Amino acid sequence: MEPIISIRNLSKSYGTKTVLQDINVEIYPGQVIGYIGPNGAGKSTTVKILCGLLTDYQGTVTVNGLDVKTQTLDVKKQIGYIPELAELYDVLTPNEYLQFTATLYNLEKEVATQRIEKIMAAFGLEANLNQRMDTFSKGMRQKVLIASGLLHNPGIIILDEPLSGLDANSVIIMKELISRLAKDGKTIFYCSHMMDVVEKVSDRIVLINGGRIVADGSFEELKQQQGDKSLEQIFASLTATDSLSAAADELAKAMESRS
Amino acid sequence: MNIINKAFLKLALLPSPVYDRMGVDKSALTAILNIKLTMDDRRVSGLQQAQRKKSDKDVSSATIITMVVSAVLGLLYLMAFYIGNNIVTGLTFYFFMFFFMLSATLISDFTSVLIDVRDTFIILPKPVNDRTVLLARLLHIFIHICKLVLPMALPGVIYMGVKYGIASAVWMIPMILLLTLLAIFFINAVYLIILRITTPQKFQNVISYFQIVFAIVIYASYQILPRMMETKGILEFDLTAYGWSAALPMYWMAVGWQSLTSLTFTAESVIFLFASIVVPLLCVWVVVKFLAPSFNNKLALINSSADGPAAPVTLKKHKRSGIAEKLGTILTKGNGETAGFLFAWRMSGRSRDFKLKVYPSIGYMLVLVVAMFLRSKNFSLATLADNGKEFKIFMIVGIYLMSLLLVTAISQMVYSEKYKAAWIFQVVPLEYPGEVILGAVKAIVLKFYVPIIVLIAIPGLMIGGWPALPNLLLGLFNQLLIAALLVYINFRNLPFSRKQNANLNGGSFIRNMGVMLISVFIAMLHYAAYDILVVVCIAAVLSMIATWLITGSIRKTSWAKIKAEQDA
Repeated sequence: MEPIISIRNLSKSYGTKTVLQDINVEIYPGQVIGYIGPNGAGKSTTVKILCGLLTDYQGTVTVNGLDVKTQTLDVKKQIGYIPELAELYDVLTPNEYLQFTATLYNLEKEVATQRIEKIMAAFGLEANLNQRMDTFSKGMRQKVLIASGLLHNPGIIILDEPLSGLDANSVIIMKELISRLAKDGKTIFYCSHMMDVVEKVSDRIVLINGGRIVADGSFEELKQQQGDKSLEQIFASLTATDSLSAAADELAKAMESRS
Repeated sequence: MNIINKAFLKLALLPSPVYDRMGVDKSALTAILNIKLTMDDRRVSGLQQAQRKKSDKDVSSATIITMVVSAVLGLLYLMAFYIGNNIVTGLTFYFFMFFFMLSATLISDFTSVLIDVRDTFIILPKPVNDRTVLLARLLHIFIHICKLVLPMALPGVIYMGVKYGIASAVWMIPMILLLTLLAIFFINAVYLIILRITTPQKFQNVISYFQIVFAIVIYASYQILPRMMETKGILEFDLTAYGWSAALPMYWMAVGWQSLTSLTFTAESVIFLFASIVVPLLCVWVVVKFLAPSFNNKLALINSSADGPAAPVTLKKHKRSGIAEKLGTILTKGNGETAGFLFAWRMSGRSRDFKLKVYPSIGYMLVLVVAMFLRSKNFSLATLADNGKEFKIFMIVGIYLMSLLLVTAISQMVYSEKYKAAWIFQVVPLEYPGEVILGAVKAIVLKFYVPIIVLIAIPGLMIGGWPALPNLLLGLFNQLLIAALLVYINFRNLPFSRKQNANLNGGSFIRNMGVMLISVFIAMLHYAAYDILVVVCIAAVLSMIATWLITGSIRKTSWAKIKAEQDA
């Protein structure tokens, strides 16, 4: 099978600081990739490159056989990007915002209207469709963002911490949705810090640290390599330089110290 | 979307066959412009930012308000035609005011309205080509400028048409267009200079200082200009007689306009006309060719601190005791007070919102002092030094006008955009929130009392000598009293803990008026007692005691009182 996303020898640096170093990943249709790493590891840079927002990188990145650098527009059409919280025009109503997104994806108006209504109803937001979003809670905004990424029925969905702010029920909906979409053959690229969720939803986990891939495989495979531990523990043992329990110990002691 | 925006949108899309040939995606272009104009309609513009209020009601016709405000400003510029004994002088001043105000407005709009950093996350990941995005941005800027310039120019054009005939009105239009180009160039240049000398993260702060300076200059010009106009000199002022006027692009345009309307061309006027056309076009060329490319890249960095590599962390050594800490420990007692003092001291120096609202008033006060000197003709330092009636008025009006500064600072202190962060005061074990309030009030008073002393006490003492001292002291004590009263009556609230909102409830408005009345009353009493030394001295002591007592009650403000304030 042909990989749908192929990243080869990808490097990226800002000035003298190297953010990504020789990344190689092949992703196949229907896979759910959990992309994890500590803060500043290069996760969001990878996402920006995949979405065609950053094109001055070294190496080759192709999506469905299309080069991200040269055929950026065709790549963008196939991707649904759900950015981290709060990046939306909040003086608009969800309806206005989603219609706007739909137009940019060249969706027909009737189709868009139908999908918007259905998605928002599924999220329980049908009553808020024509309310300005500046009064919305975190979770409501996140739902609108999710809707805007799914509207054009993309083959690849890139999610950046999509569950933040969502209530428990919506989290369940999202988790179910992710596995449903993967079953339909969609590829999902899931960035998160929530290890327990990543452990459950993804069928392949890529862990980066300091711009390099330090682990790549299914959760089962990682467990075989690293010993029978939870993903959280594997994450810690691969990325933390110092002992974390020592840090916790120091924290506890700091509270009691007197000058 | 309202009719005006619809019309502008239609206008902007008229050359769509050309856009097609350029490879622009028309439906995406329409969608982006449509959404941008809708958002403009719901946002408060730069012109109204000074008195920006977040009302509970949604803003939905900001466009119309912006246009009306620009038209009113345009009317005010007509004032310029009174200056000078010839039309070229008047017109130069008109163009100058036009240029100044347009730049002032655009300088804040460019970051807040025209360059939206959210575009990076919303529009750029969508399959829209760069040309479309660029064209949409340019057209948006064009429409925005039109909305400002058209109504702003209207009164001037009509005035010219009525006074000098149709032809002169028609020739105004290209001149104003050229002036607008010049303003765009000017703003680009200012932005680039700011970006060169500071980091993109600090950019917003620098821009807000610009806004503050603009606000003060505008206030000053409306305070002082009409007064200057009354004097004869300004009516007979003739700009054409001065050599330096040739350096002003506005002067070239005025001369150019005159030779075009009167169809008289001298060698000099042709040069000016030529310059007034070529220089703005040259400037635009420079903008397009050299400034714009780096401009957009750099602007993208503004606000996006999360983007790119984090700034290198330099381990700053914590200064053990800065001036604030020292003052804090001297002037406050108890931890609550010290904490409140340091908090308000630092917040008032760093919160952009607070600075934008309070700093201009320092400038206004300066302007008022200058205006006072200019007001009466027999007002000279010599008559002041006599310690007579003029000096009395100068002192009383000066001191009590200055208290407006304290009042503004104190009433602004309770508001913040980050008002929610005040939960910290609720969770800590603080018996009397009044302690924090008092500490904060002390910090603010200290910060804004110093300029008062500099502006009033020092010149007062220099002119009036030692005999003025008792009255000065009484005045200064009374200001503390007024500040304390204001807090006690109306602003017993934790510092930076409330959301600014427009619908001040009736009760607090009345209470505000009450405080103002009390201060006017105190000022009148002071004036009456001015010459009786014993009374002044006793009053000063009483005022001190009263302040001390009120301060004590502020300190004892309970949580119940704060809760009542918040619910009110």
